[in-house]
Amino acid sequence: MLSLHAFGQSGTLTGTVTDEQGNTLVGASVTIGDAVSPQITDPSGTFTFSNLSTGSYTLRITHVGYTEHTETIRFDGRKTELTIRLSPQSNILEGATVVGKSETQQVREQAIRAVVVDTRAVAEQPTTLAELMNRSPGIRIRQSGGLGNAVDVSINGFQGNAVQYFRDGIPLEYLGGGYGINNVPINLLERAEVYKGVVPISLGGDALGGAVNLVTRKHIGSMLDISYEAASFNTHIANLSAYHRAAEKGWFVGIDGFYNYSDNDYKADVEVVNENANLVPATVSLFHNGYAHYFVEAYTGISNTPWTDELRFSIAHYGINRESQHPALMTNPYGALTMHNTGWVPSVRYQKAFGRLSVDQFVSYSATNRSRVDTVGGTYNWYGDFTPHTGVGESPRAALSAIDFDNLISRTHVEYTIREAHKLEANVVLNHNRRIGSDPYGLRFAGTDIDILSKEAIYAKTIAGISWESKWLSDRLVNQLTAKFFRFKTRGIDGFMANATDLDDYTTAENNNWGIGNAIKYTLGNRHLLRASFELTNRLPRENELFGDNDTRAPNFALKPERSFNVNFGYRYKAPRLSAEIGIFYRKTKGMIMLIPVQPPFAQYQNLDSIRGYGVDVDVNYHLTETLQLTTNATWQDNRMVDIGPGLHQWIEGTRLRNTPYFFANAGAVANVNSVLTSHDRLKPYLHWNFIREFYLNHIPRDAEPDGFLGLFGNAKVPVTNVVPNQHLLSAGFNYFLATQPISLGFEVKNMADSKLYDYYKIQRPGRSFHVKINYHLTKKR
Amino acid sequence: MKKQFLRAATALFTVAALFTSCAKDGPAPGQDSDTKYVLITLADRVSGNKAGFISTFDEMPTGTVSNATAGSLEGQGMGGWRTHGNNIYKMFRTEDYVQGIEKINVAADGTVTSGAFISSKDPSAAGKYFGTGNFVIQNENLGYYWDAAEPYKIQKFNPTTMVNTGSMDFEEQVKERVTPDVSFAAIGQKFLAIKDGKLFANLTYATNPEVQIGFFDDLYSNVYIAVIDLASENWESVTTIKNTGSIAYINENHMYDFDDNGNLYIVTQGTHPKGLGGQSKIARIKAAETVVDPDWEMNFSDFRALDDGKFVNVFAKNGRIIVTLNTETLTGGPTGNINSADIWKFYSVDIDNPTQYNEIEGIPVGTNPGAAMLASEVDGKVYLRGSSLNSGNSYYVYDFASNSAEVAFSVNVGGAVSGFHKIEVQ
Repeated sequence: MLSLHAFGQSGTLTGTVTDEQGNTLVGASVTIGDAVSPQITDPSGTFTFSNLSTGSYTLRITHVGYTEHTETIRFDGRKTELTIRLSPQSNILEGATVVGKSETQQVREQAIRAVVVDTRAVAEQPTTLAELMNRSPGIRIRQSGGLGNAVDVSINGFQGNAVQYFRDGIPLEYLGGGYGINNVPINLLERAEVYKGVVPISLGGDALGGAVNLVTRKHIGSMLDISYEAASFNTHIANLSAYHRAAEKGWFVGIDGFYNYSDNDYKADVEVVNENANLVPATVSLFHNGYAHYFVEAYTGISNTPWTDELRFSIAHYGINRESQHPALMTNPYGALTMHNTGWVPSVRYQKAFGRLSVDQFVSYSATNRSRVDTVGGTYNWYGDFTPHTGVGESPRAALSAIDFDNLISRTHVEYTIREAHKLEANVVLNHNRRIGSDPYGLRFAGTDIDILSKEAIYAKTIAGISWESKWLSDRLVNQLTAKFFRFKTRGIDGFMANATDLDDYTTAENNNWGIGNAIKYTLGNRHLLRASFELTNRLPRENELFGDNDTRAPNFALKPERSFNVNFGYRYKAPRLSAEIGIFYRKTKGMIMLIPVQPPFAQYQNLDSIRGYGVDVDVNYHLTETLQLTTNATWQDNRMVDIGPGLHQWIEGTRLRNTPYFFANAGAVANVNSVLTSHDRLKPYLHWNFIREFYLNHIPRDAEPDGFLGLFGNAKVPVTNVVPNQHLLSAGFNYFLATQPISLGFEVKNMADSKLYDYYKIQRPGRSFHVKINYHLTKKR
Repeated sequence: MKKQFLRAATALFTVAALFTSCAKDGPAPGQDSDTKYVLITLADRVSGNKAGFISTFDEMPTGTVSNATAGSLEGQGMGGWRTHGNNIYKMFRTEDYVQGIEKINVAADGTVTSGAFISSKDPSAAGKYFGTGNFVIQNENLGYYWDAAEPYKIQKFNPTTMVNTGSMDFEEQVKERVTPDVSFAAIGQKFLAIKDGKLFANLTYATNPEVQIGFFDDLYSNVYIAVIDLASENWESVTTIKNTGSIAYINENHMYDFDDNGNLYIVTQGTHPKGLGGQSKIARIKAAETVVDPDWEMNFSDFRALDDGKFVNVFAKNGRIIVTLNTETLTGGPTGNINSADIWKFYSVDIDNPTQYNEIEGIPVGTNPGAAMLASEVDGKVYLRGSSLNSGNSYYVYDFASNSAEVAFSVNVGGAVSGFHKIEVQ
């Protein structure tokens, strides 16, 4: 039933959507044209449009499993009642997309700015999450090699551990590395939310103005999703997701899993030694760069009962095996060094709304094991030839480690609606991490044969936050005030680098800090949205930064949190064919935790530099026609060293942050062509171009930087050896959707021009590659 | 529809091409001159790859200068250098910090570039066992170096053409002292010096099983130095510096020097397992001799009875030894002072009275020179490297008469001074 309430020249429209039996439908997408934000029906099947002007609207309601309903309505201010019942659809292919996009829209328009990577919209493409994020404004992903290699997200110049990762609001670390940006197939995700500036307290993190929340796919009814991708370099990616719900209320069961495999044997330009002991160029296929990873998560639960909205039990298991082809730079090859990571992760989540109060409780206990194996008695050359040597290992650090981690994490989120326009939220994340292990080739306490890993190391942290969201001026003004509390405590023995080695002398360290932030949003008409926010926050040292990794990372128990202040402004414009957004940020970070070489081959995390920066990003989307969309964005950021102080290093004051691109841009075109081969099939060709301006690996005097507008043209006035040159990445592909089957095909050529691409440290990335993906998606109506 | 898509694709390609083609000419070269004063600075406070700059000056620098200019060479491994006549060499490649021997080229217009590079025969072995590229030059056409790929051999190379020209194998002799406790043995890894037709090369007997092999982990408390006759390439003998531990660290600062009489002075860094000193000394092999002088020794414990530091460099001239010594007990770890604090102070010692340390006035207490030599001889003068965090970053000209130094020139851009040399452009 649709009911209408009018107040003068504008009013609030609410309604309810039902099925043929009169049961309310949750999750239906309701639109009344491009000028008004779409709505999603709530658990009672209702939706609301506020401040709606009088006039004609095209009402469109879609829901997975039901035929789309479209009709024209005239909103004249008088009370009107309509009954809308959706008819079931016999075979559903892609209706769920509407749900994801609508939620995506909502996240995009909240007070705290988030860049939303709409994975659902491109799930059929043979594309990785990292590639999608790289096409977003203000975000750069550093990936050092091929599939599976670790990635580092840079948001407004924040990177490393200053950026945190979550899955459905839970800190991702509970999954022990088995699930992340570098490995999760996009088919398993609804979207990725990238927060720039203030990080919502619901995420319970200690990020410094940057956070990524991976939102898993929403299921309505029963469904099966299978995809398989084959690509160059013997790459195979398989994904399975199945979900079954017998009825609207009651039990559900599901499984998500994926398997990634790649030889990553792409060609790289290296140097080999000739008979004169000189290095000469050679192009070789990488021979020890493989990666295999499986992840499976089974879950069951009950929903929509009097005592729970959803109670969900889950257990995840994963295994990662990775070959290591070279040290930090591609200076010499390894041919046997491997790394392994396995884990079991059970968890339980309970969600319930009690009137105005809602509770979301998550608890997980994970047991993971990590190992590094470097025991080979010899070395390899770039052609894979082996030369035996005495001694163990081919790297500076032989290893046969087995390190167990126990991680208990609890996240409690409580929301209380005071009145319709005022809401309080509280969030507490407790994390307790214990490490113990062994390595016959690892470090020993000085003067003993006692393995440093054999002594327990404990890391515990608490991150709590409260926020008050208030709406004013008929919801046009939304304000969100947040306060956060950070605490960590460690216990272990600091037995490295000439420190005390009393084996009974466990050292403890603890630190408490507060943070505060505020975000405000103002909606001007139906097309304009203004945002502003600030946050003073902390980033706690991580467990591996404090304890080291028993490899080449030395412990530092004296680490303190990084502290950062950031201010953000944004403006968003949305018209039927054009949407544009501009964001401006300022940041100041003190005591950045950086990895500092201390004594070869060891490095140690220390509080070192302060950074001040500002930047701007612009994002524009334009529908050239009904079927062709153009997208473009550009980011310029000016992050520089500050507070160096007088003396020897004063010249570094004001130089750019190293290893960090300061300008990058994207452009793309996506088309949607119907009835290509048959009357109801569909083709979606696309083209994407990405550009990264050259940047430097070392400090370059500020007055020697390139001239031109924003330093975008020319070269530095000092001949720079350690520069990552301008990079262009051009990729293109298409999706083809069959007319009568729930099957789609994807094809993509990445790096079409076979350009030389590098990561932030000049590690070469793959050249041209070809990818084919097939998707099967079936949703069964209830 | 197809047309529109093609138009969009064409636009994208066009923009990409525009960005690709936006390039500007490099900096203009300077004035042509045969004589160049060459300066190297270590820019990076924290990078293990020692980022920095090398620049040239047509005239002797005065006042305050920048070392990052249009003709400079920017890159890695800028902690120091070793010079031989008009040639300059580094042990780390400018491009990527790979260990070996790199020749630095200086053009007549003053532009500095990285030149030919001799690599380890097995770069992975060089990454595991540090020291590849430790070299000494006999003449324009012959030098010797150590390569981790063949630890029992001493490699030969041509310092002009920068190619390997063979090797000398001493596996049998090196292994004479190998016991089951030795994890790694080598010859010439940390010390190579030529005197009167003899090559002096240290023998490494390391005990660390897998971590930091060869660093302050000597099996023997004595340092053994092989003496090799270069004419015949025969192993001649072994001489011993007794009761000291490690001989030297591994970088361009070779930690030995010859005085005006041809006597060779060798630094040993002591016995502390983390390199913090203890029983550190400077030993001597007199000219025309091949054995360590049993009657002469400089001991850190004579400087401070607590014996809580070490020698890290040596310069010998005019009957004097010049060293820098730590003013505070050495500490390592995250807050350690060994590499990051202004604790290294200049002293001179009369060679005939090696227990008397005389403070050199006029030069600040500075940071550890690391790979840099503590002094350079240019235009007949001795310039001391004085680089402190807050009290100056300069070369100081040393006055033997007053045992004092005064600023010759300072550097404000480019980092800590780490080498100064004068060449005739070839």
